[in-house]
Amino acid sequence: MASLRRTDILSLIHLRSDGRRPNEIRHMTCHLGALPSTNCGSALPTSGCSGSALVSMGLTQVLCVVKGPCDVGRRSEELPDRATLEVIVRTTPFSPPGDRRVANPTTDRRLIEQSHLLQTALSASILLHLYPKSKITVTVMVLADDGGRLEAAINAATLALMDAGIPLKDMVCACSAGRWSAGGVDEIVVDLNRREIQAATGMSGGGGGTSDTIYLPVATMPQRGNVVLAQCESRLSGGAEAFGEVLDVAMKGCQMVMEIMAAAVRERGAGVWKAKEGKADVMLVE
Amino acid sequence: MESIIHNFVLPGQVLATSNSETDGGFLRGHGTYIEIVQDKESDNRHATKAWGNDQSNYNVVMQTDGDDASNQEDDNDTLKTGPQRLIASLAGTVQRVNKLISVIPTSSSVYTGQVGDLIIGRIIGVGGSRWKVSLTCSHNGSTREGQLPLSGVNLPGGVQRIRTSEDVLAMRSLYKEGDLVSCEVQNVQRDGTLILHTRSLRYGKLENGVLTTVPPGLVGRRKNHFCTIEGKVFEKEGANDMQIDDEEGGDVDVYLGLNGGIWIQRKIPSEWENTQGMDRDSRVPLAETLQKLRQRHASTRVSTLMRERIARVRNAVECLRLVQYQICPESIESVVRASLMADVRVGHMICPEWVVQLTEGTRQ
Repeated sequence: MASLRRTDILSLIHLRSDGRRPNEIRHMTCHLGALPSTNCGSALPTSGCSGSALVSMGLTQVLCVVKGPCDVGRRSEELPDRATLEVIVRTTPFSPPGDRRVANPTTDRRLIEQSHLLQTALSASILLHLYPKSKITVTVMVLADDGGRLEAAINAATLALMDAGIPLKDMVCACSAGRWSAGGVDEIVVDLNRREIQAATGMSGGGGGTSDTIYLPVATMPQRGNVVLAQCESRLSGGAEAFGEVLDVAMKGCQMVMEIMAAAVRERGAGVWKAKEGKADVMLVE
Repeated sequence: MESIIHNFVLPGQVLATSNSETDGGFLRGHGTYIEIVQDKESDNRHATKAWGNDQSNYNVVMQTDGDDASNQEDDNDTLKTGPQRLIASLAGTVQRVNKLISVIPTSSSVYTGQVGDLIIGRIIGVGGSRWKVSLTCSHNGSTREGQLPLSGVNLPGGVQRIRTSEDVLAMRSLYKEGDLVSCEVQNVQRDGTLILHTRSLRYGKLENGVLTTVPPGLVGRRKNHFCTIEGKVFEKEGANDMQIDDEEGGDVDVYLGLNGGIWIQRKIPSEWENTQGMDRDSRVPLAETLQKLRQRHASTRVSTLMRERIARVRNAVECLRLVQYQICPESIESVVRASLMADVRVGHMICPEWVVQLTEGTRQ
């Protein structure tokens, strides 16, 4: 008798490899103000951080630090009518490598590409015209990567910007959706982890022969229903309908993400307010 | 608490809709933006979404006069013609003054200025007949800067005249880069830039003391931000003499900057003022006398005992910051008292176990 693996059991009861249902996002936690801001602590602050957030989606963990708005260092970067938005995405040496083993964090094309994507997604939301001739720097550190670091980075950046008090048009929430066939059945799932992303992007051309495999990270402004970012590198033989289905699932995922983020911000706001009123719970930071 | 949660908005939430452009149901305040509705279709969708969330009772906070929630729910026709919508752009609480709707950010790391606030800042630039003041008290990478124009300071000797180009050249003799100053917000510009001034004798350069910084959210607005912690707070009951110098009164001054900068120094003893007053000529203006007092304060050594007191106050503030408790003279005093009662050495006050123990009485 052939032994059953855990994943087999899960797939028999229509669960994914990590035990989630197809429409379930990973466990997500948000921590606003993860780093002490500049005006905290000693008289000699080390960083010029004005807002920060630590977001973990499943096993992916991302830290985002926002600096600014402050003066532009170089005159050439200065824009007369709006702020410059600089986005840097870095991985830490201890975060597991993606699909490549060696990556120089300054020249890694994937990171550069992601920083550009992040920049486009965020500039759709930040009211940059309020801070002409200044610069906002968003630095993202990937602490642990289990797939979906771009989505986690976008969510963390939104929260860090809110923590820094930078005006946003709307919260930008990101979530991915994917579709592949497993055992002859097409599955559309939300918020893929690394193993699922590999399944969705690795076997291009479709497992079942008829269906596409799609991996689609999407960023939306959920309260307006706008999509600010959707990146799809797969071949779409199923046509626009297949794409639309996946996009819908991803947008629903974004809505779920937004609710978690909103709760985190609200909690933080209430905590700050409590401290202002002088009724603080014991909360040791640092 | 209930009301705070109720008024809390997130970026993107609709605060108000107005029916027509000429209606003018609201005025845009800080932390909001106006969007002109163009597409009826998308407007409807958006509107139902926003109002639909209303059932969870925090989402939409207020609407303009004449539009109440039930109206909105029932007929969307009024919305179709509504060309303007006021949307929050910050996470915070909503404030409404007549038609003006603004969002006050509750982020603890952000200081939003108001006219009349006391600010402890650091000069980071001189030029263009103004000083640049970092509101985060840091030398570099400061995120918020205030402007202190030359016309906003008192000239040495307290003379009142129009500033000349010589004054511009002598700006560094007043404040140079790296100096700490206490100043007041004179004006908040449209883009949120703060215009500061030091045109009162209470404000000016800060010397011979200790700066510590806390999240601005912890410093509440109060009547007086120049506080004094009296010497008797530091005296333990039972201990008879605290060989405090007669020169120094033993009081500690605490300036609570609303931007989160907290300056601690010894209180300028009243004897000094008297001695200054003795040889004070009636012709010599008050400004000059005070300036002399400041100079004397800056050049006089602080005694060891006084230093310990200042350090104790500083660590008391640090304790309060660590437990995120509001920083006010009462809370500082109570932590200082607790630390003396428990006989804690100044350096040990910010050990986590002591932080919890010392602030226990304050937190209740």
